Amino acid sequence: MGMNSRRRFLTRTGGLVGILATGIPPALGQQRQISYLCWNNFAPLMDKKLDEIAVRFTKDTGIKIRIDHIAAPQQAAKYASEVQSQSGHDLVEMRMHFPWLYEAQLIDLSGIMAELEKKHGKALASATETAKVRGVWRAVPQYHGMFVATYREDLFKKAGLKPPDTWEDLYIVGKELKKMGHPVGIPISQNYDSISTAGPVLWSFGGMEVEKDGKTVAINSPQTAQMIEWYKKMFRDCMEPEVLSWDDASNNQAIQQGKAGWIHNPVSAYIVARQMKLPTADTINHHKTPGGPAGRHETDVPRHIGIWKFSKNAEPAKEFIRYLLGRREVYDEYIKSADAFNLPVYENLQDHPVLKSDPKYAALQDTKGVQYHCYGWPAPPSDKVQLITNSFILPNMIAKAVTGSTTKEAIAWGALEMQKILRG
Amino acid sequence: MASGSASVVAPAPRPGFALRLREWLNREELLGPLFVTPALLLLLVLVAYPFCMAIYFSLSDAFIGRPSQLVGIRNFVNLWQSDSFRQTFQNAFVFTGISVAVKLVLGITLALLLNQQLWFKRLIRGAVLLPWVIPTALSTLGWWWMFNSLYSVVNWTGLSLGLMDPPGPNWLGQKYYAMTAVIVVNIWRGLPFFAITILAGLMAIPKELYEAAEADGAGPVRQFWYITLPLLKPVLGIVILFSTIFTFSEFNIVYVLTHGGPINSTHLFATLTRQVGLESGRIGEGAAISLYLFPVLVFVVWAQLRSVRREVL
Repeated sequence: MGMNSRRRFLTRTGGLVGILATGIPPALGQQRQISYLCWNNFAPLMDKKLDEIAVRFTKDTGIKIRIDHIAAPQQAAKYASEVQSQSGHDLVEMRMHFPWLYEAQLIDLSGIMAELEKKHGKALASATETAKVRGVWRAVPQYHGMFVATYREDLFKKAGLKPPDTWEDLYIVGKELKKMGHPVGIPISQNYDSISTAGPVLWSFGGMEVEKDGKTVAINSPQTAQMIEWYKKMFRDCMEPEVLSWDDASNNQAIQQGKAGWIHNPVSAYIVARQMKLPTADTINHHKTPGGPAGRHETDVPRHIGIWKFSKNAEPAKEFIRYLLGRREVYDEYIKSADAFNLPVYENLQDHPVLKSDPKYAALQDTKGVQYHCYGWPAPPSDKVQLITNSFILPNMIAKAVTGSTTKEAIAWGALEMQKILRG
Repeated sequence: MASGSASVVAPAPRPGFALRLREWLNREELLGPLFVTPALLLLLVLVAYPFCMAIYFSLSDAFIGRPSQLVGIRNFVNLWQSDSFRQTFQNAFVFTGISVAVKLVLGITLALLLNQQLWFKRLIRGAVLLPWVIPTALSTLGWWWMFNSLYSVVNWTGLSLGLMDPPGPNWLGQKYYAMTAVIVVNIWRGLPFFAITILAGLMAIPKELYEAAEADGAGPVRQFWYITLPLLKPVLGIVILFSTIFTFSEFNIVYVLTHGGPINSTHLFATLTRQVGLESGRIGEGAAISLYLFPVLVFVVWAQLRSVRREVL
């Protein structure tokens, strides 16, 4: 008994000294628990599916996972506080350029990306541009959402209108829709949907905010003036002033509630209308995004998963990414739950069954000739270009023009604000 | 024969621990600091440390998660060149000036009413506090719904009563309307603070003064100007001081209602700080925005407290 106690005492104290000296707990006692901070998906069923997958992941691997959701507008502030305090979640969901903003704080995930690209094909260009920072994958692309034209098919048929092929066509159609009491709903306010539409219109006229070098402001151009003039006449003849106060959800609500006749948005407006069994669900359809003199451009919103450098559970966190995105059956199940709002971001999976699950998703497959970009294109992503986006200079410039400033004054204001940021 | 018994003084019994502790605690020079220490520690950790960090950030080019360098007052100088910052600066004074002035006038009026003999006085006084008790973000969501362009109950009522022309004001989409909306909500929320504090001041005024004034033939207006208002001055000074600081640093109402729009016309220092410092990662610039008014506010606090002290003495 005495010997046994002494031996046990020596074993335990020896072990404790070892743990304290190395700072590494024995494998048996290591807590295999990770946490994942992600957004409140605009397709809520995808969040539900993620929770289900997480339960199976724990069952299959023994790694516990806690998933926390946060509203999209709160993400940046939450990430900033986690980075500053060097504590928080292990995995984080990141929209578009976030990996560039937090480059120094994210671990290299190139190894996992090599595995995923081997299985699913190359990641789409927009995802690569935003998640691969200076040659290193700082986050793993998980899905993307495409903007598309969403319209009330019944109203178009009633008025004998054809879906607009160009932004100029939209003006002609929009005038009729407004006369019918169903105006066009394009937000011109301090939200991201405003940028998601203003960008493609600007690019379609051949304009850009910042040159490819990322240093030269390019907004002061005749192409921007054309874009502003287009917005002015759209605001005057096809829209209601309420678009100046809209948030990201307002255009969805406007078409779902039967007010708007045409909006520019991912397919979420239709999906939610259908899930909520709204009368407008049957009347909403989608068509290819309109183009302009410089081609047909569209906003793409890739979303990634990153792992903070301060995470003490990087390996289990990587296992979760492999489980969610690397297993074809799990990834398919995850993508299907979003009902075509979030689509696969890898080349070999582009012809995904979810796109055929509803004839109203045909426009999402009609991507021939459409160039997809992220905010700020063609400038490479950087913190300064991000600040131009986050300061809402583009929608504010348009708002100034449609509410009384001359086109020249509005552009001069926008150019000056952008120059100050780039000089910063 | 001298008795050989030497007188042995028995040592005094050592006081018990409880007694010693009581004696020790009775010493003011020990007890005072002991009581102050927890509050001081909290102030150091929760106020002084973040404040010093904010000053350091404002003088640096700090970007989230990256090493930073001191850049002197460059952030403060650069900010003044930004149109959105100058607009914010103007907004802050318009928002605070109008809100505090209206809250003061309405607060005094409401306090005078609540000081009267009313039916269900306690219930009414409790109900008045409701806007101040409900979490701001939650109540502002209700206001957002009322001002929302699609569902505005304000416009619906106005149109139904024939007070507005269709489609009614675009409350959150036009700059003057948007500023009006955020000011209205701020007044709605801040009014109870004014009313209840002023009511406390009113109740402390001796009734004899009013009786004497009445006997001398002073009417309600003269009583208000020569008794109520002068005796309320210290309370009003404190209320205005607190409200000015709170209103200058308002965040929730603007963030929920307008996000600072349209075209930055409702941005206040706190909302612009969030946009620049947190959403765009430029902590240095964000800290500079939040500290821009610090010297002005310090002066306001000093002047107000000095005036209040003079009134009291």
